[in-house]
Amino acid sequence: MTKFTLNGQPVEVDNPPEELLLLVIRDGIGLKGTKYGCGAAMCGACTVHVDGEASFACQLSVGDVEGADITTIEGLSEDGSHPLQKAWVAEQVPQCGYCQSGQIMRAAALLSENPKPSREEIVDYMSANLCRCGTYNRIFKAVERAAQEV
Amino acid sequence: MTPQKTHAKLSRRGFLKASVGLSFMVGAGGLIAIETQAAGSPALDVNPWMTIRADGTISIIFPSTEMGQSSYSTLPQILAEELDADWGDVIIEQLNEDDRTFGNPAFGGVLYTAGSTGVEGYFDPMRKAGAQARDVLLQIAAREMGVDKETLITEPSAVVAPDGTRISYGALATAGTDGVQIPKADDVPLKSFDAFRIIGHDIPRRDVPGKSTGKAVYAIDVTLPGMAFACIQRAPVEGESPVSVNDAEVRAMPGVLDVVLLPDAVAVVAETYWTALIARGTLDITWSETSPFRAYSSENTMNLYAREAESPSQTPAVWAENGDALAAISQADTNLTHAYLSDYAYHAQIEPMAAVAHVDADGKGAEVWAGTQTQSWTTNTVMEVLDTTQDRVRLNMMTMGGGFGRRTAFVQDYVRDALLCSKSVGKPVKVIWTREDDVKNGVFRPLAVQRMSGGVSSDGKLTGFHHRVATPTVIGFFNPGRWNAVKPNDVISMRGAESKFYAIPDFLADHVITQRQARLSPYRGIGAAYTGFAAEAFMDELAEAAGRDPLDFRLDLVEGNPRGRHLLEKVAEMSGWRNRGDRAMGLAFAGYHSSMAAGVVEINLDQDSGEIALENMWIAADAGLIVSPDNAHNQIEGAAVFGISCALSERIDIEAGEVMQNNFWDYDITRAYQVPPIEIYMAQVNEHPTGVGELGLPFVPPAIANAFHAVTGKRLRHMPFTRDRVLDALNS
Repeated sequence: MTKFTLNGQPVEVDNPPEELLLLVIRDGIGLKGTKYGCGAAMCGACTVHVDGEASFACQLSVGDVEGADITTIEGLSEDGSHPLQKAWVAEQVPQCGYCQSGQIMRAAALLSENPKPSREEIVDYMSANLCRCGTYNRIFKAVERAAQEV
Repeated sequence: MTPQKTHAKLSRRGFLKASVGLSFMVGAGGLIAIETQAAGSPALDVNPWMTIRADGTISIIFPSTEMGQSSYSTLPQILAEELDADWGDVIIEQLNEDDRTFGNPAFGGVLYTAGSTGVEGYFDPMRKAGAQARDVLLQIAAREMGVDKETLITEPSAVVAPDGTRISYGALATAGTDGVQIPKADDVPLKSFDAFRIIGHDIPRRDVPGKSTGKAVYAIDVTLPGMAFACIQRAPVEGESPVSVNDAEVRAMPGVLDVVLLPDAVAVVAETYWTALIARGTLDITWSETSPFRAYSSENTMNLYAREAESPSQTPAVWAENGDALAAISQADTNLTHAYLSDYAYHAQIEPMAAVAHVDADGKGAEVWAGTQTQSWTTNTVMEVLDTTQDRVRLNMMTMGGGFGRRTAFVQDYVRDALLCSKSVGKPVKVIWTREDDVKNGVFRPLAVQRMSGGVSSDGKLTGFHHRVATPTVIGFFNPGRWNAVKPNDVISMRGAESKFYAIPDFLADHVITQRQARLSPYRGIGAAYTGFAAEAFMDELAEAAGRDPLDFRLDLVEGNPRGRHLLEKVAEMSGWRNRGDRAMGLAFAGYHSSMAAGVVEINLDQDSGEIALENMWIAADAGLIVSPDNAHNQIEGAAVFGISCALSERIDIEAGEVMQNNFWDYDITRAYQVPPIEIYMAQVNEHPTGVGELGLPFVPPAIANAFHAVTGKRLRHMPFTRDRVLDALNS
């Protein structure tokens, strides 16, 4: 049994402790907003918060997060009202959308540690996540927009 | 082969069954049937484009598939515009079958979402469909009000009489169609473009909220009761198959349900994906070693194609021709010839191949959940794999985590995998390719060698241009039946080589159709992703030979193309081209099909490392009428960002038939820090829309190469411009 907190709720799972956290979140618990993209910490589609830090869920085993506080895109807000989510809609960021949960989660971690980031800080921080549709400039604008509202 | 179905006998969604409303059926020629739905009617016996219900909601069929391009929102807007619907009343319904009634006119009626053809192909039929339905609503309203139809107007989702009386579309939908005549599609007047309320306005995309909250559902997210998971070990080289599998250990693992032999792979089916993944790692497979593909490496392939470009073993297929280019070049005051090279490239869509299939107990039917660019060929895949008929195929076309041409094949192997696994275990099965599977078993933009020749006169004019492309046929691989119909003209391999935006008096583009030595596919921009590079980088070489500014040299060629000329002048103004001094700026004028883009990039070159960084980018684009301006901006910018890594890093190598790259650590696509500010101008043009999905890509590689020349005096003729190649060019 592994116990941790997910989106504010205590959970217990009996998956093998070495199983990837990403698969446990998606298939075991059934929250599909966190995506598989590379399994190698290269694309960031699986970005979640572990104790407030942006982390690759494909790089963690579920046993690693015993006792941790995990937030996924589903826990960022109940109804899409997080300033970043509103900014994503206002700037019409997504195209295919597959990477965007991870982008938003990384951006949320940035704003929680640095509420007023410069453009350069945003670009550096967001460079961990890939967007093949090429929405980066809109991502930057959306993060800046959200930062003004936080 | 069973005949294609055109009128589906569908049981539509439950809420429609009990609804009251008007249904219209519209094909490429317009409205072809109409009937009222009685309350509680069991089902429709047509598959209508559009249903107007008593509650005022209007369902419109979305005939393409969605991979990020937003035609999910844009195409229904075209119909809603002429219907004069309130966009807020519109419900979008994905077309989930191969019903050619809704086929894309740009593809001869095949349901196929590719090549920036959605808006271009559906613009006329969907406008006419909406206009006809509006006419019917006006007739009903005239009858109900007892007035002349010509006195009525529409406002969003309502008919309005001169005295101000209004009847909503929902109310009219329940009023019956007695006395109503369905007008012919071509007889109904369409709105003038300046009367549009939806087209040309920034209506937010419907899918953005779901994609900003993690709620959008992709094929990889589909979960069914009792579903199993499959992980596939594919043959290391194309053409090989499993000879034997020692799977006793794997089958004994808890949670493993089956080991399934596929024609070119071995699948482990398990209760969880984790189990399937771990179990796959312990499979002991002996592969055949007879494939001719084991003899191929990309380096040798490049050498082969270079020889073929120089002296083809067969007569090249003429792609575009005007005058006598070879004579003009040989007689020119100055002529030059250079070879341009480009490597294989991989789509790198962030959702890897995934599909869910649930095969019926008799093995002759299935429900499938997949993200593909074609209802038609996914249906074909199911029919071929299960040796069944179309009526046994039930599709769910899922929104895709990127497409870029990856999901277009006539037979889709990831769908096939899911079908065969499900059939074997008697359960629904989800197949997920790992990223490594996706890279190693990718289908690539073809490797190409382009031999460019041109002549200039002593007064600085272009006199002849020969663009020879040595590359295989792509269509011949991913859709052989289609190739039989179109050969030797392969638009996927050749697009862009026609240089159609320029008037060049003596011009030839021809295709040396080389031997295929890897799996191939359309890729964003198709041929223009590399023909645009060669054409426009070489154009700069010719300008230099002519002693002309690259802009002036091109302006001579667009005298008969005022829209193109406008773009060149505009991008020059936006970028400050005339006053660039010694800034590292490069210009290119390319495009896609009938859409044009002139672009300028400014680069920063690190001469020690060979790294090229983009500092600025300016784009002036013309794609005819723009239906969704904000989305068009996003598409053009996205394609330009795609073009950056196309130019700088995207490269697949093959050795002894095996793909050498693995994942995003050795296949680099553009990251956030590599994206410059991008300024985009879209021309306001009231002409038929021509598509924006690929438009931003083709100019990027040549503009970068031309900027490199501006700062170094050296030419980059091998894409991508990796650091080692940049250093080689600097030292040449």
